[in-house]
Amino acid sequence: MTRDLKKLYSDIIKQHNETPVHFERVDGADTTLKAYNPVCGDQFDLFVGTNGKQLSQLHFYGFGCAISKASTSILVKHLEGKSLSDAAAICNDFIHFIQLEITGDALLITEEFKAFEGVHDFPERYVCAALPWVEMKKFIDSRIHE
Amino acid sequence: MALSLRSIKSHFPIFAYRPELVYLDNAATSQKPRSVIQTITDFYEKENANIHRGFYDLSSTATRRYEEVRKKVSNLISANDARTIAFTKGATESINTVAQGFARKKLTSGDNIVISAMEHHANIIPWQQVCRQTGATLRILPITPQGDLDLTLLPSLLNEGTKLVACTHISNVLGTINPVEEIISIAHKKNIPVLIDASQSAGHYPIDARAWDADFIVFSAHKMFGPMGTGVLYAKHTVSNDIESFHFGGGGIKNVSFAETEFLSYPHRLEAGTANVPGVIGMGTAIDFIHQLDLTETSRHTHALCLYFKQRLAELRSASVLGSPSQFGSIVSFGMENIHPHDVASFLAHANIAVRAGHHCAQPLLDSMGIPATVRVSFSIYNTKKDVDQTMDALTELKSFWK
Repeated sequence: MTRDLKKLYSDIIKQHNETPVHFERVDGADTTLKAYNPVCGDQFDLFVGTNGKQLSQLHFYGFGCAISKASTSILVKHLEGKSLSDAAAICNDFIHFIQLEITGDALLITEEFKAFEGVHDFPERYVCAALPWVEMKKFIDSRIHE
Repeated sequence: MALSLRSIKSHFPIFAYRPELVYLDNAATSQKPRSVIQTITDFYEKENANIHRGFYDLSSTATRRYEEVRKKVSNLISANDARTIAFTKGATESINTVAQGFARKKLTSGDNIVISAMEHHANIIPWQQVCRQTGATLRILPITPQGDLDLTLLPSLLNEGTKLVACTHISNVLGTINPVEEIISIAHKKNIPVLIDASQSAGHYPIDARAWDADFIVFSAHKMFGPMGTGVLYAKHTVSNDIESFHFGGGGIKNVSFAETEFLSYPHRLEAGTANVPGVIGMGTAIDFIHQLDLTETSRHTHALCLYFKQRLAELRSASVLGSPSQFGSIVSFGMENIHPHDVASFLAHANIAVRAGHHCAQPLLDSMGIPATVRVSFSIYNTKKDVDQTMDALTELKSFWK
């Protein structure tokens, strides 16, 4: 086992993959987002409950690799309860972080975000990590501008 | 005398550059022998000229070499008639040509096209589109849980509205070798033409266009040791002049005025624009290479690797192989318990083992089997038992890492 792979599949990612946060289907959610990667056929549904300009409840369910599943789980954990504008800033920073290795202010980098550092050595896995964040960001942008 | 499989790797330069590479993604594209690469380089270095238009040696030589490949291709599939072979960009373009140039004008609202449940996207979407354009419907021949076509259902799918049956020879996911002669014979009883997608079989398994009595056969050069971007449409004489071109330009024509254009007959009418001449000539060299192989020996070799791999997977006790078709080629799709195919592929990639993970452009097939994705291993002539052992070592390590 090389060091890079251990970094990619960090304990935090493995743990979220095994026991993801709020991993259940929600009937009648305010909004259902589809985080879908046509290259591999991975697909997660994100069930979003909103209360005014706040993400009040987040759940997810579906099928995907360990990276995408852990990434979605961490998104749910960290964005639930946030205001739309705070959540948008975190989404932006997370996407920048995994794409460009740049850490923004909003992210206030925690160990759980840092767990995705390994993706920098695996550019083909970038989409796996970014997938739910990109979809969430699109949703928030559409809501903020409503 | 056939080339020895023991030293076959030495014919493929990529393995000299990357001796550590275990290449198990042959269903996506095969590696290229030195002779094919050299042919393409030689063409551009020593022989470059356009075909069918110059009155000078270079051009007539290029034309002759290009046209000679028609004969080679037709012999490869036992059609033995160069006039049945059109050159395309690949199997996908060949299927689109039949869908738009042949099927479209025959289809009206209420008609149908029949395909099988194990087709890859290239043999689904062109038919879906032509059905949408004409108001026809796409009918699907189901497969058994083992991954064989359920041929008992085929006759009931065919009626006077069926304008074509399209089916793959070998499944790119399950490896199933389909009884194409039987399919063709069932369809022909109702005078329905049949297209066979030989993308996974051409150059690796015997194809007999005349014994099969196929109306159309399509395949790509790049999966049979040839260059990318070059492929074949075989059409039987009874249907070939019924195929109209759906893209037009220089070449392919007899006479042009601003009022109208008189087209050449098949196959040249389909080859408008400057062809991929070195690609086609390179495909000819790939066929020369294939003729140096003993296909009975090579298919026995890849089949034995499949069986050995399946046996080792069973011993691992946490892998499940998708399907168990009655006859299968050199492809194995499998899943690992609780580990997503992408994660498996990343681990194998780190051990220099190239496999495919995902839906393999056959999403409807996997959907019907209730599986979103698999890991696919596909063998070719240069693979060895050692490649399987290395793969199993990596999978064993992955299993313990994932605990």
